[in-house]
Amino acid sequence: MKIVRTEKLTYEYIRRDEEGNVEGITTAVDQVDLDVEQGEFIAILGHNGSGKSTLAKHINAILYPTEGTVWVDGMDTNNVSQVWNIRQTAGMVFQNPDNQIIGQVVEEDVGFGPENMGVPTREIWERVEESLKAVGMYEYRKHSPNKLSGGQKQRVSIAGVLAMHPKCIVLDEPTAMLDPQGRKEVIRAVRGLNQVEGITVILITHYMEEIIHAHRVFVMDGGKVAMEGTPREIFSQVEKLKNLRLDVPQVTLLAYELQQRGIALPDGILTTEELADALCRLAGRKE
Amino acid sequence: MLRDITIGQYYQTESLIHKMDPRVKLGGTLLYIISLFFFRNFWGYVIAALFLGLVIRLSHVPFKFMVKGMKSILFLLLITVVFNLFLIPGTELVSFWKLTITVEGLRTAITMTIRLTLLIIGSSVMTLTTTPNNLTDGMEKMMKPLKVFHVPVHEVAMIMSIALRFIPILMEETDKIMKAQIARGADFESGSLLKRAKALVPLLVPLFISAFRRANDLAMAMEARCYQGGDGRTKMKPLVYQSRDRAGYLCIFVYLAVSITVGRLV
Repeated sequence: MKIVRTEKLTYEYIRRDEEGNVEGITTAVDQVDLDVEQGEFIAILGHNGSGKSTLAKHINAILYPTEGTVWVDGMDTNNVSQVWNIRQTAGMVFQNPDNQIIGQVVEEDVGFGPENMGVPTREIWERVEESLKAVGMYEYRKHSPNKLSGGQKQRVSIAGVLAMHPKCIVLDEPTAMLDPQGRKEVIRAVRGLNQVEGITVILITHYMEEIIHAHRVFVMDGGKVAMEGTPREIFSQVEKLKNLRLDVPQVTLLAYELQQRGIALPDGILTTEELADALCRLAGRKE
Repeated sequence: MLRDITIGQYYQTESLIHKMDPRVKLGGTLLYIISLFFFRNFWGYVIAALFLGLVIRLSHVPFKFMVKGMKSILFLLLITVVFNLFLIPGTELVSFWKLTITVEGLRTAITMTIRLTLLIIGSSVMTLTTTPNNLTDGMEKMMKPLKVFHVPVHEVAMIMSIALRFIPILMEETDKIMKAQIARGADFESGSLLKRAKALVPLLVPLFISAFRRANDLAMAMEARCYQGGDGRTKMKPLVYQSRDRAGYLCIFVYLAVSITVGRLV
């Protein structure tokens, strides 16, 4: 069952001058076809202005396609009567943690989504508890969000979406404003959701390290899907990634440079351990 | 530093009054204030003061926090006393230079002082024992009947609670912008009042821009979480009257009956 599918999705931003005349049209997303299976971990990669955030907002029915169609769990996002069902099926986490927390207490914020859906009070409490436990924030439930770190706030935001029992979570650069520690926390929580709860994850990011665990990666450039494949397939094309102005993780880059110097390493090395293993094997003294 | 600022004057502790439904406290305070204007003799005020003392005792809030609220209206109180004392005509009590104090004037001045003091302390008991969030919730539920007249009760309550949530964030932001401007040579402290007011412009412009951007982001985040106004919404922490709240109402009505009877008839 396809949880998210787009067909020839195109979105144009229309700039107007003060009289309302069209000044110019920017095509942010251009003829994108996307297929996401239930339970997959998808990463969408791209530098600023590549259209990745615009694409993400279509999955939650915040933006509607100029051309083409988006289906979420079989529902067409152009169908106005389905909007709330779509938003419930595909939850969304945004970039700035401060601007998406509504409650003044952590547990109240997590309960905001279920409250809007009209879930009975008893069940809201159950959902809040399980969601906060899933992201490891249960002991902070009585805290004020203002006193949490960026990574903690972002985990609260994820719990807030989780409490709505979505089938799919779209994360729009959730780590862009966090420090390395917070980034790790958030990515760990997201992987947990995917592996333990079986929720489809669509992670939008420009950090290469975060896509290593994805099942499939889409690289966007100029509104189009420029590359598609497993992380290993993507990372083996170092030159192409550089042309798309994306940074390859240091280990992968090192392996690539060694390869260029004539050392017979396999393509697309992703972690330090892999590189160490490959080098040891080459040296003929594999432990 | 700015992060720790508390909004309102909530005093955190465990007590019967703290646990009470905000509607009881709101309604009770309102009735209490009204009762103060019904008394014709001093006995009514004695009962009112005793009742307030009992509530303060039950609330476990130190008395000095109540007095703190008084400081802000001290000036107002002084003016009221002076005007009442000298300007009310009647039987002369003392007279010097062009000023006369009358018996009626003295009586009104004393009544006014007692009335205002009880009024301020009474309402600070409510704000000291109720979180702003709880208060908004209580108001929303109490005003619900106004929906018939198309008053956007839920929306107003939502706006209030979002404002409360964003005050510390915007304060922190102000602090940040201020420091950035000072680092580039802005001067917020010296000069005439006009000059200082002008110096605030480069502070307010970025602050407003950022506030609008945040509002836009927040609106999108709320929509993404299926917010569609107050209809069909359930509450995570619904306000349900407990036995203590019914007891609270009972106490207020008993007080009201006794104090008004005594205050008007005896």
